[in-house]
Amino acid sequence: MTEVVSENSEVTVLLVDDNPQNLKVLYETLKDKGYRLLIANEGDKALDLAHRHQPEVILLDIMMPDMDGYEVCERLKADPETADCAVVFLSALDDLQAKVRGFSLGGADYISKPFQSQEVIARVKTHARVIRLERELQARNRELQGDQTRILNSISEGIYGLDENGVIEFANPAAAAILGSPVDAIIGCNFFEIHFAAVGEDTGGLPVHGTCRQGVAESQRNIRMLRTDGSGFPAEYRSTPKLDDDELHGAVVVFRDITAELESEAALEEARELVQEQRDQLAHASRLTTMGEMAAGFAHEVNQPLTAITNYARVSKRMMGKETPDLGLIGETLDKIEAQSHRASEIIRRIRRFMKKPATGKEIISMPALLEDTRQFAEVDMRNNEGGIEVAVPEGLPDVLADPIQVQQVALNLIRNALEATRSSGSATPVEVSASLVGSHCVRVQVRDYGVGLSADAEDKLFLPFYTTKDEGMGIGLATCRSLIQAQGGDIGFERPQDGGACFFFTLPVAGAEGAPCRPDNPPDTRED
Amino acid sequence: MTDIQQTVYVVEDDEAVRDSLELLLKSDGKPVKTYESATAFLKDYSDKMAGCIVLDIRMPGMDGMELQKKLNEQHSILPIIFVTGHGDVPMAVDAMKEGAVDFIQKPYREEALLEKIEAALEQDLEQRKSLDEKQEIIRRIKSLTPREHEIMDRMIAGQANKVIAIELEISQRTVEIHRSRVMHKMGTHSLAHLVRMVLSVKDLIDAK
Repeated sequence: MTEVVSENSEVTVLLVDDNPQNLKVLYETLKDKGYRLLIANEGDKALDLAHRHQPEVILLDIMMPDMDGYEVCERLKADPETADCAVVFLSALDDLQAKVRGFSLGGADYISKPFQSQEVIARVKTHARVIRLERELQARNRELQGDQTRILNSISEGIYGLDENGVIEFANPAAAAILGSPVDAIIGCNFFEIHFAAVGEDTGGLPVHGTCRQGVAESQRNIRMLRTDGSGFPAEYRSTPKLDDDELHGAVVVFRDITAELESEAALEEARELVQEQRDQLAHASRLTTMGEMAAGFAHEVNQPLTAITNYARVSKRMMGKETPDLGLIGETLDKIEAQSHRASEIIRRIRRFMKKPATGKEIISMPALLEDTRQFAEVDMRNNEGGIEVAVPEGLPDVLADPIQVQQVALNLIRNALEATRSSGSATPVEVSASLVGSHCVRVQVRDYGVGLSADAEDKLFLPFYTTKDEGMGIGLATCRSLIQAQGGDIGFERPQDGGACFFFTLPVAGAEGAPCRPDNPPDTRED
Repeated sequence: MTDIQQTVYVVEDDEAVRDSLELLLKSDGKPVKTYESATAFLKDYSDKMAGCIVLDIRMPGMDGMELQKKLNEQHSILPIIFVTGHGDVPMAVDAMKEGAVDFIQKPYREEALLEKIEAALEQDLEQRKSLDEKQEIIRRIKSLTPREHEIMDRMIAGQANKVIAIELEISQRTVEIHRSRVMHKMGTHSLAHLVRMVLSVKDLIDAK
């Protein structure tokens, strides 16, 4: 029986009869069936209760004083709150006329007096279920309708329903807001007229026209649409044909104002250009700094042999000024002069090779030669850090295509960092610089040190501009290095060696293997679209 | 006044420069000792050294400026001639503020360097002479008894014998006896000279 209860729960049955005896019998019949029972002994009361409780089923006596059952039924059906109630007439008038009249007034059923309790129970149950299902269905419909309306209302894109001539049959609030007119005023207007100032039938070639007439879906970005006040706005739209059994009935248009989007796109583009510009400037500044540091280093370096030469020359003259000059000693001193002169010219040759070209073009570079040059550049740093550098390049390493100055700058930067890290840790192990072929079209250069190493959180930020782990670092170095290397079509990275220290590497494309850049699958922050 | 052998100490990391400078100075008849790093010189340093230092300002490890600071901490009075390269002028200025005698820029004319070395050696001699004098004054001060020292301090402060006697609760006669002993031990007859002597070694005594 619980099933019955559960099925009947929430079902309200209103019993209306002017005869208390009848009411009692009906009440007794239905009381244990799980219904909520309401009782009224006259029409007014019945209407009041029905209005307040919206019973699913009303058992309604026809013959009542003041207001008979027919009138009550009429009124119930006239009140939207109670219109869906199932009215079951109760009457001793078991004639067709009475029944017909009852049905014509919206009655759902008819039970003749004296009634059988089983019949009453069965009928009430049936109608209760029907009404409940109906009500649920309506509730769902209302909900769906509500959802649809809410969706259409809340969508920020304008939506139109057009007929095949472009007459607007439906418009959502967003469409009205974009256009600048209330929804009511839009319905019935011609889409082509209000948005494109088209005159009459001259709509060929306009957006959405093809969808309305030929059923072809369209979508365009950055077209110009008009508002009611005649001003225009850039828009993006999609239109899809409205089909009903394969018959074309117009189009659904979804459109939006893209003014703000275009602005932010332009701003983004501008920002991108600015970033690129700043990157170039940074690289340039960094190059100048490197040049400046190198120039100072060179000047210092060239001064050493020159000073020595001057001193030796003086000494030689003095020796020659003696009564019995020691020719052997003078010869030795002259040999020293010659050696220092070679040393000076070697330094100058290196400077010229470095300064020979402005840092603009890529050229074919022999990696062993470039790394050897870089090692010599780093001699000042080596002395300053009391460290060593070992260069290891395998035989037959192919040449790469890159800007030699920029590559040298990057290599020098990594070597300097490595020397400093080695000194900081008090280690005496030399920095290992090596090159190798990766795949068929990439050369990888690696700078490995056995120094202080890097913390885990530093690893993620290493190549970000202005990030530094040094007390006096600017944080420009590695960010610039990345820009420079990526500009060569290569990549730069860091690996944490198992046995401590640090390992930085960069890759460069092998000469003649263009179109196969040495970049990771998803290079960071270099979207180009 | 002991006559110590003056030496030119060359501290220079570049082997060729070091070697050529050694030959040059030797050919000029000067005793030379060379060091390839500031650390090596510092290890060897003692206050018995006389002469001057020709010091390269830019060196790996400890540079010239650092060596100068360390020597100052040890109250070295060896004059330093800094040898600077291109663009080291600001450093040289700092070095001068720290008490360097002079600096010379590479590549230099030999005459200029030798002149500067001569001047530095001269200065070293002067300093050493006055230092010897000061050392003698200090030796004499140390020969005073605590009581005599106390009385000398009060004499220098300008206290009259009477005041000294009252404050130290001794007789004025006793003060006079101490006073004459102080003058005798300090080898002077004038109070003004005594004051000058004691003031001249004030910094050395304070430093101890």
